[in-house]
Amino acid sequence: MNNLLTRTENGADVQTASRRTVTPKYEVKEIADAFVLTALVPGVDRSSLELTVDGSKLSVLGRRAFSAPAEWTPVHREIPQADYVLALELDHRFNHEAVKAELSHGVLTLTLPKAEAVKPRRIEIKG
Amino acid sequence: MKLIRYQNSPVYNQLANYTNLRDEMDRLFDVAFPTLTLLQREGILGDWRGEFPVDLYQEKNSFVVRAELPGFRKEDIQVEVADGTLTITGHQKTEAQAKDKDAQATTRETRVSRSISLPENLKLEKIEAAYENGVLTVTLPKTEEAKPKQIAIQVK
Repeated sequence: MNNLLTRTENGADVQTASRRTVTPKYEVKEIADAFVLTALVPGVDRSSLELTVDGSKLSVLGRRAFSAPAEWTPVHREIPQADYVLALELDHRFNHEAVKAELSHGVLTLTLPKAEAVKPRRIEIKG
Repeated sequence: MKLIRYQNSPVYNQLANYTNLRDEMDRLFDVAFPTLTLLQREGILGDWRGEFPVDLYQEKNSFVVRAELPGFRKEDIQVEVADGTLTITGHQKTEAQAKDKDAQATTRETRVSRSISLPENLKLEKIEAAYENGVLTVTLPKTEEAKPKQIAIQVK
């Protein structure tokens, strides 16, 4: 599983103008015919999320939509003022064309279907 | 220069006014020994505790709390005010999907909680909370006395 999805530090050409970026917390699980990547991107809505698959490069860019109005005085801050960037290298085990994405309550779920070649096949025995 | 009410404990910094000490200790341990926490946790959505970040703002007419709590349903988030403390709790039980390759028939339980001590002069019966994109925003309106007022003083 280690080499399955390699995170490329600056592989994808993701540019966020001046804002700091962070890698979201994420995990990858294997199900029968796909790998499911779950990433936590609180504060990102559908319109501020960019997902691109370019060849073997998958990149996720999520912008936190909220910024405090000028007249609000911060008393205590823990939420980073940063956008989410996740750049991954998909290997041959994925069907790059069929990536599916879902965003719900700040959780991004990417379904990365397995390539036909790696799905288990049953081989009939003749004779 | 503003006069600040005397705080009893000199050990606490500004932060301790607003957040629970135990949560801060948990956070410190998480930072110092990340592997320990990873062992306790079952995946990122698993059993994490006291870990969600909170922002606090003073606005002209209200006190605003924003908390990042991704992956909860609205009905799984509880916001309570008691004794000048606002407590945000997220509690969720999820059944493991049977479709999973290595699924066991287990339920996964997540409980996170944080307490924030509130400033005085808030209209506690008028609190509003909204949950959007995994972020909870609690707006606590100030009482009339607490709103900034300009008083003209005649100099004799």
